[in-house]
Amino acid sequence: MRYIFTRLGFYFLAFLFAVTINFFLPRMMPGDPISSFLGRLAQSGGQITPETIAALEALYGYSTSVPLWQQFIGYLQSIMVGEWGVSTRFFQPVIEVLGRGTQWTLLLVGGYLLISYTLTTFLGIYVAWKRGTWADSLITVGSVVISSIPAVVMALLLYFAFASNLGWFPTGYAYDPALDPAYTWEFVSSVLYHLALPMIAMVLLGMGNVMGMRSNMINQLGEDFIVMGWAKGVRDRKVMFSYGARNAILPMITSFAMSVGAIFGGSLIIEIIFNYPGLGQVMFQAMLARDYPLIQGYLLMMTIMVLSANFIADMLLFALDPRLRTALD
Amino acid sequence: MSDLVQVNNLCVDYITFGGRVRAVDDVSFSIKKGEILGLAGESGCGKSTIAFALMRLHRPPALISEGEILFDGKDILDFSDEELRKFRWADTSMVFQSAMSCLNPVKTIESQFYDIFEAHNVVSTKEEGAERAKELLQIVDIPPERLYDYPHQFSGGMRQRVVIAMALALKPKLLIMDEPTTALDVVVQREILQKVYELKEEFGFSVLFITHDLSLMVEFCDRIGIMYSGKLVEVAPSKEILGKPQHPYSFGLGNSFPTLHGELQEMIGIPGSPLDLNHVPDGCRFAERCFNASEQCRTDEPQLRNDEARGWVACHHPLAIDFRELQDAPCSELN
Repeated sequence: MRYIFTRLGFYFLAFLFAVTINFFLPRMMPGDPISSFLGRLAQSGGQITPETIAALEALYGYSTSVPLWQQFIGYLQSIMVGEWGVSTRFFQPVIEVLGRGTQWTLLLVGGYLLISYTLTTFLGIYVAWKRGTWADSLITVGSVVISSIPAVVMALLLYFAFASNLGWFPTGYAYDPALDPAYTWEFVSSVLYHLALPMIAMVLLGMGNVMGMRSNMINQLGEDFIVMGWAKGVRDRKVMFSYGARNAILPMITSFAMSVGAIFGGSLIIEIIFNYPGLGQVMFQAMLARDYPLIQGYLLMMTIMVLSANFIADMLLFALDPRLRTALD
Repeated sequence: MSDLVQVNNLCVDYITFGGRVRAVDDVSFSIKKGEILGLAGESGCGKSTIAFALMRLHRPPALISEGEILFDGKDILDFSDEELRKFRWADTSMVFQSAMSCLNPVKTIESQFYDIFEAHNVVSTKEEGAERAKELLQIVDIPPERLYDYPHQFSGGMRQRVVIAMALALKPKLLIMDEPTTALDVVVQREILQKVYELKEEFGFSVLFITHDLSLMVEFCDRIGIMYSGKLVEVAPSKEILGKPQHPYSFGLGNSFPTLHGELQEMIGIPGSPLDLNHVPDGCRFAERCFNASEQCRTDEPQLRNDEARGWVACHHPLAIDFRELQDAPCSELN
């Protein structure tokens, strides 16, 4: 228990640190959203009055007259109560815009993690067990080749072939716009149908994990307790899973925790290409529109998701590795 | 006493990029019921390879290429996969060289005991398995309540004893101990071997004991086989092997240990280094390092044969010294 609280404390500190950077970094960069907005307003011939500036400052929660540290305190307070500002692109509270995207990103990334990690783990176990056979060569080389294709190329190829040309999959959206969101089979199947192609792209890109699992498993198979398992007369299947794989997945969880940021980053490209309305899509539009509050909110949301994923990985390791449990509790 | 294990002309090869390397070459020996047979020799001479072969634990690139291993009259090399699985641990169990890392780190001791019982259908419930495991732990002086702990919660010596308890779980006919005590200090080492000896007396199993530690071996074993570069060069009762060595290599091994009593002596040792198994000479493998080698030794390979007067030795010119008659002999205090 103590361990869990220590980790929670650590993640809270990490969160504060990220928020601090998130706040100061944009403010240290040359130029600010208000002058850029005023610039564009002046170019299009709009009237700039002190009232306009005051209104903009209120909108952005940004002011040249208030000291930076006071702004920071105010920023922290507003984050905690869920006021993340107003999007200048969508004219809606940032938290609402992000909330809409987050559900689809969580569905895409969560589903990806589930499918990809299950698939690559079992494939890795299998090829390590069958090391040196043609199945091993085929799967190992195949997964390396597939996962070496850049995400953009992979996504464009799949999109062009199966969505745009063959028309097997939809060319955008998370569900058929004609349907109303509800827990009906019709709606759920539409969601899954729209999810399929981006998901396939991500799973293919994640096939490299087979190599990781394979080498972990091969390392484990060289361990003495595996030989002892066989010597004990334990059946092959049990040695494979209960002695080999059970130990080989531990480093996989660590590597998952380390790569979760990259996974969210990867989903950004996939969402943009497949026109999938997740967080990546939101971020893309926010950047095009120089929607500072939304960009800041997006970064904050990413921080929360990455830290949460890391926390889950920590807890998983804690549950699966008895050595960690006794060392820390 | 009849033979429990009869190994005939066993060869084990390792397949390497440079071709086949014969790690164990034409080795024959037997282990009687209730006997403790020791195998000694330098690192890499094939001791552990023989131990693995007796349970058919070799995995590619190692393979048993020739010979037969008769266990209770049946050749284990003819066993099917399922026969082999049932044979392992029930008939022959092994305490591995690295007992420290022989336990699965993510499973409790209880569940690792249960795997043994489950694999051989000897218990019907987990509770029954736990009961039997507790009895076994008591045999090796580990408190039974430690059964539900994980391996990392034990010290090295305790883990070693847990592995020994596991090895005895199915009351095997042969217990292989592959350097079981190298990682332990001498006190723990002695305690453990004492325990194994008592258990052997009680249950009547045979032991194949492998170690570099000759003095330990002389005390513990009934007979000792000396190996050099994949060959068995001498087999003799343990009382004789150091006191009256016949093979020059056995003599050299005995001379490599300092005496505890008596005057200080110059250590003679064995010149040179072990043979490269990629380049095996025609004659005796030990000829290069032997002080007694003749022309015949370099061309003609000596065979291990039983000489009425001398016992089993593979040498053209067996030695005829008897240290036991000399007062300051290197290992006299051991006998």
